[in-house]
Amino acid sequence: MTRTFKHIILALIVVIWVLPFVALVTTSLRSETASKTSGFWTAFTPTELGHRFGTHDRDQSEPFTTMSGNIFERLNGDRESFEITGEVNSILFKGRVPDPEKPGKTKLIKKLVYAGEVMDVRGGEFVFQSSGDFTWTFPEATAPKAKNLDAFINQDPVFGTDAYIEVLFENENVPNALISSFIVTIPATIIPITIAAFAAYAFAWMRFPGRDWLFVIVVSLMVVPTQLAFLPVLQGFSGIASWATSLNAWLTDCEVTRTCKVPSKSFASLWVTHTAFGLPLAIYLLRNYIVGLPKELLESARIDGASHLKIFTRLIIPLSVPALASFSIFQFLWVWNDLIVALYIGSADSADLVFPIRLQKQLGTFKDQLHLLNASAVISIIVPVIVFLSMQRYFIRGLLAGSVKGG
Amino acid sequence: MARVSLRGVSKSFGKVDVIRDVDLDIDNGEFVVFVGPSGCGKSTLLRLISGLENLSSGEIYIADRPVMDLPPSKRGIAMVFQSYALYPHMTVYHNMAFSLDLEGKSKKEIRERVEAAATILQMEHLLDRRPAALSGGQRQRVAIGRAIVRNPDVFLFDEPLSNLDAALRHDTRVEIAKLHRQLDATTIYVTHDQVEAMTLADKIVVLKDGEVMQVGAPMELFHNPANEFVAGFLGSPKMNFFDGVLTGASGVSSGGLQGSFSGEGLEVDAVRLVSENKNNGDRVRLGVRPQHLFLDTTGPVTGTVTLVEQLGTETVVELITQQGTPFRVASAENLSVTAGQQASFGFDASSAHLF
Repeated sequence: MTRTFKHIILALIVVIWVLPFVALVTTSLRSETASKTSGFWTAFTPTELGHRFGTHDRDQSEPFTTMSGNIFERLNGDRESFEITGEVNSILFKGRVPDPEKPGKTKLIKKLVYAGEVMDVRGGEFVFQSSGDFTWTFPEATAPKAKNLDAFINQDPVFGTDAYIEVLFENENVPNALISSFIVTIPATIIPITIAAFAAYAFAWMRFPGRDWLFVIVVSLMVVPTQLAFLPVLQGFSGIASWATSLNAWLTDCEVTRTCKVPSKSFASLWVTHTAFGLPLAIYLLRNYIVGLPKELLESARIDGASHLKIFTRLIIPLSVPALASFSIFQFLWVWNDLIVALYIGSADSADLVFPIRLQKQLGTFKDQLHLLNASAVISIIVPVIVFLSMQRYFIRGLLAGSVKGG
Repeated sequence: MARVSLRGVSKSFGKVDVIRDVDLDIDNGEFVVFVGPSGCGKSTLLRLISGLENLSSGEIYIADRPVMDLPPSKRGIAMVFQSYALYPHMTVYHNMAFSLDLEGKSKKEIRERVEAAATILQMEHLLDRRPAALSGGQRQRVAIGRAIVRNPDVFLFDEPLSNLDAALRHDTRVEIAKLHRQLDATTIYVTHDQVEAMTLADKIVVLKDGEVMQVGAPMELFHNPANEFVAGFLGSPKMNFFDGVLTGASGVSSGGLQGSFSGEGLEVDAVRLVSENKNNGDRVRLGVRPQHLFLDTTGPVTGTVTLVEQLGTETVVELITQQGTPFRVASAENLSVTAGQQASFGFDASSAHLF
C-alpha cells in the first residue's frame, strides 16, 4: 500500500467522522428558514435567494421627485440577526408595459431587470445598483404608494447564535437537563474511579488468599449486559425505597405533610448503577496499569516505612495520573451520553431529566425545527469536548522517567 | 552500627530452594560483599535480611535483636537498589525526606538531616531537581543519600553500580569505599563483579546455588580458596585447571595438607591439597593462576599459543596443551610469543592448589 493511498484512506476516515459534527454546528448557527430550505453545505458559499422588499414605509406620504434608498437597509430594517448582505443580482419586474403589437394597449409582463437598467415603477424610473442603492425618479413631485419588489440577491453566508439563545434562555428544559446531567455524571465518574483505584492497588500489590480468582470474577463481570440487570436492579432500588419510606415515616413526622415517600428512581440510584457497571472495567484498566509500576519503587517505600495506604496515596496515585485521567474521560463520556440507564433507573421528573433524554423529547416537540435540535445537540457535545481537552494535560509522557533504569 | 547474624537461614520458592542453611556473622562496621554468579541467591539473601522476602526457616539478628517478624522499616536497615528506585514525582529533597516524613519527624529535623546527607555526598545543588533531570551517577547518589538520611544500623546495597558505565562505576566505587570509612556503618553489598568485591570488602562471602562456598578476607580467598569454585570465581583471568590423579598425599606440612599431582604431562610435588578426603590415585585437578605461570623453556606446562591479548598493563596469552586443555598466562611483562608458536611455562608449586 503506498503512502498516498494510506493518506487518502486516513483523510476519508477523518472526513466521515468530522462531517456530522460540522453539519450539526453549521445547521445550529443558521437561520430557521435557511436550515429548512437548504442543506448545511450551501451555508458557506454565496447563494442566490429571493427577498421581497418595500420601496418605502407605507405611512410615508411626502411627495418627492427623486427618492434614493438601499435595498439591504429596507430588508434588514426589522432584523436583529441573520442580516442580509451581498450583491443584488436582479429584480423581478411584474407590470404593464405598452404592447408593441397593439398600439395604445398595455400588456402584463414578468421579466428580470438587472442592475443599472431602468424599470418603470408606478410611472417613475427605478434604477438600482448591485450594491443595493436605488433611485426612483419622477418627472414631477409625486407621492406614490410603496411598491413591493422581489429582488434576487447573491447572498453572503450568514450565521447567528439565535438558536442557542432560544434553547438556553427561552425555555428551562435545556438548562435543567444540563444541570441534571452534571449532577449525575460528576459523582458517577468520581465514585467508581476512587473505589477502582483502591481495588486495583489491592489486586496488584497486596497478597491475600484468592486474589487471582477474585480478580478473574471482577473482570468477567464486564460481560454482564446492562439491560439484563435492569429488572433486578430496579427491584432492589424499589425495595430500598419502600424501606426508606417506612423509616422516614417512623423517624419523622412526614405523615402530616404527606412527604414520606422516598422515590426509587433518583440521581442517587443513577450514581449507584453507573458505579456498579463502571467498576469492572475501571478495576481491570487501573490494575493493569498499577501492576506495571516498578516493583523496586514500592519496595523502596516499604523500607522507608510506608504503609499500604501511604504507598497508595503518596506513590500510586501520583504515578497513575495518566491511567486515572483516561478512565475518568471514558466514564464521563459513557455516563454523559447514556440514555438507557437514565431512562430506566433515573427520575422521570421533567426537571430532573438528563440531556440525552431531553434531546430525545425535543425530537418530538421541535420536529422540523432543525436549528433548535442541532443547537441542543451541540451543547451536549461541547461538554465532553471541554472535559477531554482539559484532561489532555494529564496524559503525561515519561511520568516514570528517572525512577528506575530505562524508565 | 550493628552486628548482623544469620542462623540456618533458608528460603524456598515453592519447591526450589534458593537459599540453603546459611550461617553468617557480620561484625560492627564491617563491609561484607556477597558475590557469586547470577542466580546464586545473593540478592535473595540480601532481601531476606532487608525483610522484603520472608524466611522459610532460620533466624536473623540485627544488633542482637531477632528481626524475623519485623517489617523492613523497623529492622534498622536502609537499602540501595540496583535500579535506583527513586520516586520520580518528587524532588531529590523529598525523595530523601520521604522516610523521615513518614516517621513523623519535624520539618526542621528533616531539613537538617537531608542537608547533612547531601553535604556528605556533595549534592546540595541537586536537591530541587527531579530524578528525571539527573544523570545515572547522580541518581545513584540520591539513592545512597536516601539511605544515609535514615541513619540505619546496616546499609544494604543491591548491585548498586551495575547500571553505570565503566568510568563512573570506578568513581562511584571509590566513593562508596570512602563513604564507608566516613560513616563506619555495617554494610552488606551484593555484586557479581569480583573487582568490586575484592576492592571494597573487608569480608567476602562467595555464594553458589544458595550455599556459602567460603567466607573470608579478599586476599585470604584469593590465596587460599576453599574449593575449586571459589578458586575459579575469584581472579582474572580465571585460574587454570589441569586434570590428573593424586600420586602422593604427603600428609600435613606447615601450610596444611600437601600432595603430588600427575597428569597432562605434569608431575608436581608438594602442592597444597585443598580437598581433604582424597586418597592416592583419586582424580584431582591442579589449579594454577595465570599470573603464576612464567616463561621457562624447560618448564613443565607446554602449549600452543592460540591468542595474544595486549591489555597495556598486562599481556594475556591463551594456549592449548597437547591434551587439548586450554589455559591462560598473564604477565606484566611483554611476552615474546606469537599465535601458533609452542611455549613452555614453569610455576612455583607453592602457589598452586590441588582440588
